[in-house]
Amino acid sequence: MSIPSIATHKPVVSCKCAAYLDWLQMLSGACLVLFMWAHLFLVSSVIIGPGVMNAIAHFFEITGMAQVGGPVIFAIFLTHFVLAARKIPFTSKEQGLMLQNAKRMHHSDTWMWVIQAVTAMIILIMGAIHMWVVLTDLPITAQKSAARIQNGWWMLFYLVLLPMVELHVGIGFYRIMVKWGVIDSKGRFGFKKKENLLTAIMIGIGVVTLLRFMFLATK
Amino acid sequence: MQIFQTDLLCIGAGLAGERVAIEAADNGFSVICLSLVPARRSHSSAAQGGMQAALGNSAMGEGDSPDVHFADTVKGSDWGADQECARIFVDTAPIAMRQMAFWGVPWNRVVPGEQTYYKGGKPFTAYEKPENEGLIHSRSFGGTAKWRTCYTSDGTGHAVLYTLDTRAAQMGVEVHDKAEAIALIHDGDNCMGAIVRCLKTGELKAYLSRATLIASGGYGRIYRESTNAVICDGGGHIIALNTGVVPIGNPEAIQFHPTGIVPTDILVTEGCRGDGGTLLDVNQYRFMPDYEPEKAELASRDVVSRRMTEHMRKGLGVKSPYGDHLWLDIRHLGEKHISTKLREVQEICESFLGVDPVHQLIPVRPTQHYSMGGVRTDKDGAAYGLKGLFSAGEASCWDMHGFNRLGGNSLAETVVAGMIVGGKVVEFLKGTDTTFSTAAIRDAMHRQEARIADLVSCANGGENPYTVRNAMFDSIMKGAGIFRNGKDLEKCVSELQEILGRARKVGLRSGGKGANPELTMALKIEGMVKLALCVAYGALQRTESRGAHTREDFPERNDRDWLTRTLATWAPGADLPTLNYEPATQVFEMPPGDRGYGGGKIIPMDAPKA
Amino acid sequence: MGRTLTFNIFRYNPADPASSPHMDRFTLDETERMTLFIALNRIREELDPSLMFDFCCRAGICGACAMVINGRPGLACHTKTKDLPDEITLMPLPVFKLVGDLSVDTGTWFRGMYQKVESWVHTDKLFDPKAQEERMDNALAEQIYELDRCIECGCCVAACGTAIMREDFLGAVALNRLARFILDPRDQRTEKEYFEVVGTDEGIFGCMGLLACEDVCPKEIPLQEQLGKLRRKMAFAAVKNILPKFLKKDF
Ligand SMILES: Cc1cc2nc3c(=O)[nH]c(=O)nc-3n(C[C@H](O)[C@H](O)[C@H](O)COP(=O)(O)OP(=O)(O)OC[C@H]3O[C@@H](n4cnc5c(N)ncnc54)[C@H](O)[C@@H]3O)c2cc1C
Ligand code: HEM
Ligand code: HEM
Ligand code: SF4
Ligand code: F3S
Ligand code: FES
Repeated sequence: MSIPSIATHKPVVSCKCAAYLDWLQMLSGACLVLFMWAHLFLVSSVIIGPGVMNAIAHFFEITGMAQVGGPVIFAIFLTHFVLAARKIPFTSKEQGLMLQNAKRMHHSDTWMWVIQAVTAMIILIMGAIHMWVVLTDLPITAQKSAARIQNGWWMLFYLVLLPMVELHVGIGFYRIMVKWGVIDSKGRFGFKKKENLLTAIMIGIGVVTLLRFMFLATK
Repeated sequence: MQIFQTDLLCIGAGLAGERVAIEAADNGFSVICLSLVPARRSHSSAAQGGMQAALGNSAMGEGDSPDVHFADTVKGSDWGADQECARIFVDTAPIAMRQMAFWGVPWNRVVPGEQTYYKGGKPFTAYEKPENEGLIHSRSFGGTAKWRTCYTSDGTGHAVLYTLDTRAAQMGVEVHDKAEAIALIHDGDNCMGAIVRCLKTGELKAYLSRATLIASGGYGRIYRESTNAVICDGGGHIIALNTGVVPIGNPEAIQFHPTGIVPTDILVTEGCRGDGGTLLDVNQYRFMPDYEPEKAELASRDVVSRRMTEHMRKGLGVKSPYGDHLWLDIRHLGEKHISTKLREVQEICESFLGVDPVHQLIPVRPTQHYSMGGVRTDKDGAAYGLKGLFSAGEASCWDMHGFNRLGGNSLAETVVAGMIVGGKVVEFLKGTDTTFSTAAIRDAMHRQEARIADLVSCANGGENPYTVRNAMFDSIMKGAGIFRNGKDLEKCVSELQEILGRARKVGLRSGGKGANPELTMALKIEGMVKLALCVAYGALQRTESRGAHTREDFPERNDRDWLTRTLATWAPGADLPTLNYEPATQVFEMPPGDRGYGGGKIIPMDAPKA
Repeated sequence: MGRTLTFNIFRYNPADPASSPHMDRFTLDETERMTLFIALNRIREELDPSLMFDFCCRAGICGACAMVINGRPGLACHTKTKDLPDEITLMPLPVFKLVGDLSVDTGTWFRGMYQKVESWVHTDKLFDPKAQEERMDNALAEQIYELDRCIECGCCVAACGTAIMREDFLGAVALNRLARFILDPRDQRTEKEYFEVVGTDEGIFGCMGLLACEDVCPKEIPLQEQLGKLRRKMAFAAVKNILPKFLKKDF
């Protein structure tokens, strides 16, 4: 806190914006986490069999959830981006300070934040492309997905996006829990371990899913 | 030259300084506090145990009153106290504690019903009255008839200082930290402020004030082994002494605390013994009851320190690379008690010794702890010798502690005296106007500038200030430690005189730019040696044993010849202080008698002259 | 024992035009039970008398000696050399203004903080010297003290990426301080008033949960818990009037 800012900013904030925005950031993040878990459920069902995936996709299709849900998720995605971006350092000076601090301190939670910010930017671009591609080509079927994945760079694309997303989701979830005091200091380290394990499992399932798509007959 | 002007300048932002500052600010006067460190780092924050006030809320404090507190204090002082001050103190202490509660101190409170406490290592239960629920609680401390020590866990000084400092911030008291007063501005009659060296930039500044308060804490750091913070090196006393007219009262009255840890000399609180901790020797034998059947470990500090030294001299101490020590045992208090009520103690043992006090013994030895003496003031806190100069807290010799201060009485003194002296400072500020003599200011400033220039250019010589300081350490601990005698003291005085000569010849090796620490030391070393000489010379002249001052060659307390207070002044250029004496107290509410502990013979006031 | 320790120490004296920021190396033989307090004082007394650093209590209770020790903020007096490798790097705390070498000006920052969060008991009552003290539950007093144990060393601020990036962020120490006053029934500030102090992006909503504060605090103050509670309290305070009744409990 600098002295000039004390002298010039009276600590009177009759606006509750900061609180609202924090709520929204957390809720949008939480929604996206829930969505990503559901999403994983949908997509990885292909491991059991393309029929299962098709059935689930079909269910979303006929109830209209894919047509409405897709854009809604897209909107939440953008909202979350706008809110969370307030926290991301954009000047190289700030980025440098943050990085230096994480390096100097060897502090895992600080590093985790750095990871979150970096993955966020990648997700923003790749996630948007992905959603665009999938949502402009409804309905979703296992065969279409398989065709996409077996075609050109898409496999690589997902192999990058997948860990980015899972890391971001995992860390984001942990972060909500500590920031809102849902877990306390004692539970923290245990929770972090479990959370990391979960992330690893998710990435594992994702990779298996991708492999399954790779070798799925596209008819 | 940057000049600040204010109504009151407090040299020191510990409890005493800030309490006086708040009083003045409350009455609309402008106040600046100076401090070597941010106010909250002042040494007051290190006091763990608590502060005494006769509230009598707890079961073990029942029946307590200011009168009982008064008797304990005067006995504790071995009748060296000014009884008028002691009376003011005990009567005001309960109010001061309540005021601290009002301002936000989280005192521990009475929990009603059967409670388990410890005494002499044994648990017992006492019934806390339901009607006292939630009132300020108290714990036991050495040398008191009742449990009277108000506390917050074991961070009393910390909690109280933080509260006072927030109050000061609220009242708009300015604190200029990392600022060191290096000389008073005066014309021989009036004090007009101080010359201050900024410890951030090294610049010299003049602070002009209508009233100036010395509240700079103790001077324990003239000893090498001291529980005091490293900043407690007598800066305030030195500038008072350097005026040539302001006396230091009872400089020889130095208290040693029984339980400084070995080797780092960090204090573990008396609360350990108050709560039931015991002292063991090399055979893990509890020896204190043999010497003091009644009070055992809870006899007053000077007694316990002496008994420990006596026991170690019999060869029953524990040998270590850092010298002999004894053991403090608090294991029986149990993990829960230790990790809540004595948590700081546990932290200290673990971080600085690698000892877990729940299962292991703590190495301790008596260590310099408190300076009863200080800038002599009258009962209003006005210093002798200069108008407009006041003093309060450990820096002062107000003098309720005489030759031995009771645990818990000094922290209480800071806020009580702060309140009283603050009131008197306000009266003074209301009633007087000061004319600042520009000649005196310029003169004071030039003198300090010249001093610094000489040190930087090694004009007087190239003595290393740290070497000189180490020589002083060696000399004073040998001569004026716990036990004293004529031969060693004489040697000590002559050594210190030689060291004083060297202190006057120090010069810098490091250029002295900015907040240079070598310059800080060099500016102070001569004064520190002078203070050490006041201690040693005062001790040499006082041919009796009283309180903490123990002469092996004069074991009796001699009320006939020595019911007096030493007043040490330093004539410019002299090699020894000038000692004068005044009666210990003008008013006798309690005539001299036996303390009931400590043993020792007394030569009564009316004994025929030898 | 018997190790030789190498100290890499940041040096810069802003008051000396000839000085520029650099690292100096010193070597010392390690002695038994050596702490950084002992080591630094030896370096100053034996090797370089101009070395600036701060110690006060040398007992881990005043907060003066915080510095960056091998990358992490901590109390030097509290750090035993035997817990460190042979190479020890010491830097001044970031965020705070440098005084010189390892010494920083924490006083000014903290004073500013008190003013900003109004770190004192707000009450319209007047002290009555004749009255008995107001009662307080002992458990509550102990809870308040638990948060009052902060020694203002500044480690939590210097370790916090947010505070390093954003000058106006209050830092865990200030948020914890406010939590202390919220607990204290003597402080009559309303939830709304507290909200105005910390319900901002400089306050609790600026905290990104990096938790370095919690991990470096030498007093082991439960900062994560306190920040969590404060965030909940402030966030719910903001939506109180939109919330359905059954959700309106006290957070
Ligand atoms: C380890 C320990 C534990 C103790 N425990 C207890 C206890 O439990 N109960 C009890 O009653 N007493 C206890 N005491 C004693 C008590 O803490 C002190 O006597 C008391 O705090 C002194 O307060 P003060 O305000 O006079 O001085 P301090 O708190 O020491 O403040 C001195 C101030 O003066 C400033 N200063 C000094 N020199 C200069 C200068 N030249 N220029 C500018 N500023 C200067 C310092 O920066 C500081 O702000 C303990 C003492 C120690 C060492
Ligand atoms: C699948 C998509 C995403 C999910 C599931 C997700 C999830 C989350 C969650 C749960 C949090 C924690 C929220 C909080 O602490 O309040 C979070 C934080 C964050 N997210 Fe995302 N997010 C996603 C996409 C993005 C995108 C596209 C960005 C792009 C900028 C982004 C940037 C951030 C940032 C910077 C934070 C940290 C905020 C902080 O520390 O305060 N996220 N995210
Ligand atoms: C409503 C929006 C979404 C729909 C309908 C959707 C649908 C799909 C489908 C059908 C696949 C299979 C592969 C393919 O067809 O290309 C897939 C895979 C994938 N999606 Fe999405 N997706 C959506 C949003 C997102 C978002 C927001 C992200 C994260 C930013 C994301 C990340 C991924 C990843 C990483 C894969 C690879 C899957 C794996 O290996 O498990 N998706 N998605
Ligand atoms: S909260 Fe902890 S780290 Fe922060 S200033 Fe206080 S004691 Fe230091
Ligand atoms: S490190 Fe900083 S971001 Fe928050 S959790 Fe601690 S204040
Ligand atoms: S010197 Fe006080 S905490 Fe280290």
